[in-house]
Amino acid sequence: MHCQKNLLRKIITFAFLIVNADIAHSHHSSAMFDKNVIRHVDAVVKEFQWANPHVWIQIYIENQNGKQEEWSIEGLGTNGLFRKGWRPNSFKPGDIIEIKFNPMLDGSSAGGFIGAKLTNGKIFGRW
Amino acid sequence: MINKKNILKFIFMIVFQWALILLPINSYAQNTSTLPDWSGVWERYEGNGGMFDISTTKPPEGRAGRPGVRQYPPLTKIWEEKYKKNLELVAIDRLPDPISVCGTPAGFPRLLALPDVYEFIVRPEQTWIITENGPNIMRIYTDGRTLPEPDDRWLTYTGESVGHWENKTLVFKTISMIGEKSTILDRSGMTLSDQAEVNARMFKTDEGLLRAELVIEDPIALTEPWYVTRHFRRLMTGTRVYDYACAENNRNPITNSGKTLTLGPDGKPIDIEF
Repeated sequence: MHCQKNLLRKIITFAFLIVNADIAHSHHSSAMFDKNVIRHVDAVVKEFQWANPHVWIQIYIENQNGKQEEWSIEGLGTNGLFRKGWRPNSFKPGDIIEIKFNPMLDGSSAGGFIGAKLTNGKIFGRW
Repeated sequence: MINKKNILKFIFMIVFQWALILLPINSYAQNTSTLPDWSGVWERYEGNGGMFDISTTKPPEGRAGRPGVRQYPPLTKIWEEKYKKNLELVAIDRLPDPISVCGTPAGFPRLLALPDVYEFIVRPEQTWIITENGPNIMRIYTDGRTLPEPDDRWLTYTGESVGHWENKTLVFKTISMIGEKSTILDRSGMTLSDQAEVNARMFKTDEGLLRAELVIEDPIALTEPWYVTRHFRRLMTGTRVYDYACAENNRNPITNSGKTLTLGPDGKPIDIEF
């Protein structure tokens, strides 16, 4: 039970259309993401790929067995994110964050970014 | 023989020749001073839903690419069937967006409904529409040329455009677009045929928006003209536009079956089903 704090917290939501604005209209279809599910997890940043057509946040998440798993979280492109306040160093390796994302429909270890909160309280995306 | 008559004739010829030289310059200067100010950086105004025609989209707040979301242009029977098939493919993630391959333009008229920002470069001889989410540069010639003859053109993403100014309104016509072969209008799967033509009027509204009024005609896809209006709003002064190198880190290649994959940082598919 003690691990549950770090386990994926699955929140079934109604699919309010606006919720997924940050992954919609990327350079490809976002059909692979489950927009009806928001996962809210604690994570450690492994790498932040600041590049187009999408930024990617590589994170470590503790799985149900207590092991660290690497996940790939996809965001929008650099240009629009920069204008929303993101920077190439917004996420640094080792940063501890809370992150929300729409997981892949097939259960694989990736997701579409919704929002993230750093330990200093800074928020990116929707929170 | 030098006499008064010949001197006058000589002066007249000199003046006439200079007038011929200066006339285009004066005309250019006049045009420049009367052109509208569309400078700066703009973004689309019609929300982030990505549907090309907001006015006929159902449900009204529906987002392109979501199952069940569509628009209702005056489609011919054959095109309605095509659109329905595409909608079904969208629902199962098997309708890849042509621009997802990175490198090909979205094309016209879709380029008026893209994310990221726009620049509208107005010059007397042509107007350029440049989209940050590219590659898209549309050239609308306003130097008096006509559309190319059939033997002098081929189907392209942005087509061939010529126009003119009516006061502060850019009036233009676009033909010779590549159509359904290589473009879609939005991620609901709406397309046009390569016979489509667009007559457009672009002008700044009293509210400061840039408004594009499109009349789309397509003898194969549409039963009657399709009226679509798009708006753009100017972003704050100093907003910059950046490179958009789509192939820089494309971790979503498309399979031959049309499925969009997701690659891990090692370049291998993450997808369990793959």
